[in-house]
Amino acid sequence: MSLLHATWLTQSEDLPSEKSPVLFLWADTWQMVNPKKPESSPSPHPYTLSSEELRIWLEKKNILPKESINRTACLTLPSKSSLQTKTTHNRKNSEGDQEWGILPLLAGETSPNNYELWPWKINGLAISPWEVSQWLTQLPLSLKDADFSEEILWWTHLQRWSLSLIANGLWLPQIELSKEESKHHRARWVPLLNQEDERKRLEEFIQKMPLVVMCAIPWRNKNNKSSNNESESKNPSASPNPIASSLFRQDRKVVINVLKEIIDAQLREDFEKQTKDLDPLLSAWQTALGSANGYIDLCDEDIKRLEKATSNWKEALYPNLKDAKTCFELVPPIEDDTLWTLHFLLQAESNPALTISADKVWEADSNSVEIGEIKVTHPSEILLEGLGRALKIFPAIERGLETPTPQVMQLSPAEAFVFIKTASQQLRDNGIGVILPKSLSKGVSSRLGITIKAELKERSNGAKPGENLDWSWDLRIGGIDLTLQELQILGKKKSPLINHKGTWIELRPNDLKNVEKFLCNPPHLNLDEALTLTSTQGNSLLKLPVHQFTPGPRLKSVLEQYHQQQSPEPIADPEGFHGQLRPYQQRGLGWLTFLYYFHQGACLADDMGLGKTIQLLAFIQQLKNQGELKKPLLLIAPTSVLTNWKREAITFTPGLSLIEHYGANRANTVEKLKKSLQEIDICITSYSLACRDNELFKNINWQGVVIDEAQAIKNSNAKQSIAIREISKGLKHDPLRIALTGTPIENRISELWALMNFLNPKVLGEENFFNQRYKLPIEHYGDISSLKDLKARVGPFILRRLKTDKSIISDLPNKIELNEWVSLSKEQESLYKKTVETNLKEIASSPLNQRHGKTLGLLTRLKQICNHPALNLKETEINNNFLERSSKLQRLNQILEEVFETNDRALLFTQFTEWGHLLQSYLMKEWQVEVPFLHGGSSKIQRQEMIDRFQHDPRGPKLFLLSLKAGGLGLNLTRANHVFHIDRWWNPAVENQATDRAYRIGQTKSVIVHKFITTGSIEEKINQMIFEKSQLAENIVGSGENWLGKLSVDELSELVVLDNKE
Amino acid sequence: MNKTEITTALSRKGLGEQSWWVEQWMELINSYRYKKRLERAWGYAREGNVTSIRFEGRRVHARVQGTEEKPYKVKLWLDVLDDEDWNYVIDALAKKAKWSAQLLAGVMPKDIEDAFATTGKRLFPFNLQEVKSECSCPDQANPCKHISAIYFLMGDQFKEDPFILFQLRGKDRNTLLSDLVEKRLLLNQDNKEATKNSKNTSSIRNYAYQNNIMSSPDLWWKYKSALDDELVVITPSTEETTGPSIAGALPFASNPKFPESQNTFIRDLVSYSQVQAQKAMLNAMAIKT
Repeated sequence: MSLLHATWLTQSEDLPSEKSPVLFLWADTWQMVNPKKPESSPSPHPYTLSSEELRIWLEKKNILPKESINRTACLTLPSKSSLQTKTTHNRKNSEGDQEWGILPLLAGETSPNNYELWPWKINGLAISPWEVSQWLTQLPLSLKDADFSEEILWWTHLQRWSLSLIANGLWLPQIELSKEESKHHRARWVPLLNQEDERKRLEEFIQKMPLVVMCAIPWRNKNNKSSNNESESKNPSASPNPIASSLFRQDRKVVINVLKEIIDAQLREDFEKQTKDLDPLLSAWQTALGSANGYIDLCDEDIKRLEKATSNWKEALYPNLKDAKTCFELVPPIEDDTLWTLHFLLQAESNPALTISADKVWEADSNSVEIGEIKVTHPSEILLEGLGRALKIFPAIERGLETPTPQVMQLSPAEAFVFIKTASQQLRDNGIGVILPKSLSKGVSSRLGITIKAELKERSNGAKPGENLDWSWDLRIGGIDLTLQELQILGKKKSPLINHKGTWIELRPNDLKNVEKFLCNPPHLNLDEALTLTSTQGNSLLKLPVHQFTPGPRLKSVLEQYHQQQSPEPIADPEGFHGQLRPYQQRGLGWLTFLYYFHQGACLADDMGLGKTIQLLAFIQQLKNQGELKKPLLLIAPTSVLTNWKREAITFTPGLSLIEHYGANRANTVEKLKKSLQEIDICITSYSLACRDNELFKNINWQGVVIDEAQAIKNSNAKQSIAIREISKGLKHDPLRIALTGTPIENRISELWALMNFLNPKVLGEENFFNQRYKLPIEHYGDISSLKDLKARVGPFILRRLKTDKSIISDLPNKIELNEWVSLSKEQESLYKKTVETNLKEIASSPLNQRHGKTLGLLTRLKQICNHPALNLKETEINNNFLERSSKLQRLNQILEEVFETNDRALLFTQFTEWGHLLQSYLMKEWQVEVPFLHGGSSKIQRQEMIDRFQHDPRGPKLFLLSLKAGGLGLNLTRANHVFHIDRWWNPAVENQATDRAYRIGQTKSVIVHKFITTGSIEEKINQMIFEKSQLAENIVGSGENWLGKLSVDELSELVVLDNKE
Repeated sequence: MNKTEITTALSRKGLGEQSWWVEQWMELINSYRYKKRLERAWGYAREGNVTSIRFEGRRVHARVQGTEEKPYKVKLWLDVLDDEDWNYVIDALAKKAKWSAQLLAGVMPKDIEDAFATTGKRLFPFNLQEVKSECSCPDQANPCKHISAIYFLMGDQFKEDPFILFQLRGKDRNTLLSDLVEKRLLLNQDNKEATKNSKNTSSIRNYAYQNNIMSSPDLWWKYKSALDDELVVITPSTEETTGPSIAGALPFASNPKFPESQNTFIRDLVSYSQVQAQKAMLNAMAIKT
């Protein structure tokens, strides 16, 4: 897996005559390498692809830029140094055996405490600014592809900004004088950042820029004249870090220049000289603006005149970006005074919060002044120039500039009003800062609105969304409360700016009208509206902004539970529940109960291993205890977990009656189904049957529907999703709707609609609306405000707790062992039966001395069948229906999905090397990821490489297959926090040793151990024995599997015959 | 000031509605008694007979194509102020921040002569006799029509840069500005100590910032931000806020041979900005999914 990077090279050295900037694409891939000994010239970066490899890879990903050239660049990258023991050396223990070396750090690599900066020579591809703009435009605007580094996202966002600037026409043509005598002067298109928003955006891009974007240093060839450079010639061998100091010049110029290049390239492309009848100067300029290199053909005198005129032209709109700008702060009159005060300040461009007063500017010498950490040169010139421009916009300032070093002036109320209403915005758009009193600054928060106090009606427990609340309201403006009388008095004053209790506020006629309307017809407020008003900021009621919502204690508790601002009230384990809920599970039970009484569907999305199944079972048990469970519940789950459900239900809630609608003998008419459902609490079935027997299910009056592994309905158009939604829609009388899933559902926008449509159809509306309103903006553009809104809407219905949550982790054991119960597929079942039948006969008729071996052979074959029929049939390649043929594999696939989704890592142990190979090729194909397999046949070097990659590569494999024998001992694989025992070695000590590869010192997460058990088969029976610690099992612990060979035929028969009772 | 005013003015009256200091210059020229000669000069200026005009130090050098094959050389200059006079002027200028502010913003302050009043000198010449000139033409009259043509063009040059008048009086922009800084400092000298202290603390801060970079390699790779809300949907602005439409006329002396030149140039830019805006919007919509 390679990771694509992009670094800006300010100078391209390929064509010395045209030093134009380019974007340099390169990619790195982790591999085993020895640290490099530092040399006088940068070492080749050991992880990067060659230019040709990169080209092929990009081609394959279908994102190869149309035009690119092979390039070598020198980049400064964070690196780690280490001492290495020399292996080639003969003498031992001498000092020379240790060698110092360095290696570059990869993105995301766990960093050592100290890192160093080192130059690395890197191969890649260079693309021109025009190609950059085209290439970036086609890339996604959110991080979807794991092959893209995060800085690529920075680049795509920058390109997006350039499109926005062009769409808004925020550019001007200019002349760029060459700094070097021999070079051409050029005609350029430059961005115009006169608007305040755009300048803020620039500062954000500067602040958020990953350093790798600008980490290139001039490449020094050995024979090049720049190798005579001071730093190298002085001491070539001992210049360990020649570039470290040059990197900290975090200058806005760098980013502006990149933006300039990209905008210039895009505007240059289409520009054609349009008219002939032009002044020769303008004509030459126009020609150059459309030419590829921008060279302008005019004599020096003319070009300088043109340059001066054009730069004045632009500077009248906004001067070249400096580190600071002139700023005005308006301060309201104090007490009885009527005059406002205007302070002159200098404000840091990068951080509007940083200002210094004008007197500091006048105090400073002409060189520089510091605003916070920012050094500003020629501050008085900046301040004066800004004041001069402000004069054109707001002439009243002239009065304040009659002294040599003015700092402040006063404004009449009328002037202050003009300043606030119109001048402030114009000033901002001309690059001058304005600070207004908070109560007068723009935005809803200062507008006339209301505050609300509300509480549930007496005796209500807040369970009905439509119920009315007891409530009262007050007026508020500019953060100040206001009585109605006060408002009437203020409303009569004709002045728009009003001093109310010491705060200056602006009273807008429209807001007054809205209040009047509100007073004429005061509305009711119900619980539903309260939930909406408190869900996001900036809500309004009848057009009046609601500045504050204060619920009474009982309402507050309901709101907080609803918005999940407080953990749900725990509910004690219900009677009849055989088990013990952990504290967070009791809170989960409380949450399910809360939403149930609210008649809202709930999605319990706890991390795998936190026990969603038992929380649900406890909840159903509780409903039954309370007499709420009057009709059967339909529980739909993937086929591979049906067995697991039955097992868990029998273990934890034996008091619940449960039937399975599955298999050839299932009810095939409504009548039969109804009959079978008498006295039944839960009916479980599979997704495919929910689809196939849809008509049956729709005709049953269910209490509700529960779907497990709810990601099964993620594709809203799939048949089974539609079938399930139809069953859900047919439910009557405030039904129960619950979805269980372990995947981070709230992050999968496209899947949310189907889920919510099942749970609470009204929340997200119709699918088309959803796609337009949320899916498109969020997925295509990464629109954060739509995402926030969406999360606020669905948040109340999804409870997701992670193993790593602080409130959870203390409740969790460090190691969680889960039994994964699976059944056999049809093919497995018949193969299993046939094998048992023929082999038992054979063993019974064998001489005693052969029996032992034959018995073990049979057991091995049966275990293989439980894994996959292909193993027994000695197939070596995976075929089309490979997944369908094994229930175990299906279950594994489901769990892996959750593991991969949550960015966990897993080990999988098997005792069958052939199974490992089959799994490896299947999983690599299925998940399109790399899956290493360490087995007896792996060489020592291969083993070490696999282990190192798994442990250290930041983007290393997420799943590691190991054969129990080769990988069960000695290795340290703490990066994994899931361990799969896909088949069983009937010796807990051996399994535990394997588990300990992950569960050991250095492990920071809870380790989840998944033990697969095929029901009814030998796997279950032996598991049962171990569980019951029978005499046999004790033997097992001591002697591996040998004891099995000594069983009598009857004993053996009981052990292996498929138990079909369920 | 917008572009249409300039063009109508050019054909009607010369330079028309202009910055006040350009107008004042034009009035000066129009006070010349020999109207006929002035008209000829205007024609020269408009038809592009002036082949070059340069401000070198305190003089204006120009070449005007007359009746002879070789262009005539024209020189113009004003009386310069001596150092003592300038001292007084700087003194006066520094006393009103407004003057520096306007000059820096490219505007000639209306009451600028007040700053010169103490010296008894002026910035603007009071009459044409103060504008000294030489021409290589055989015409004995001064100003001849070649010189007068330069008068007209100088008005245009003043529009480009108000500091030119100061330069002709003996102070170029940079010297003037640094003299003003010095003068202001003198007015503020008492408070110097405080600044020095603040300097020391900030260099320590810079050092801390460097260390911060050193200690976190994540700064090299991390970028978690979502796309700015405003950039999600890209639409051209509805208001007339594009650069080419708000920038107005180039502060650039128009070439009388091509009176429509500037208008055309800017009109082309404005229409190009619309075409490009449309294109950028389409590009922004065509994101791959």
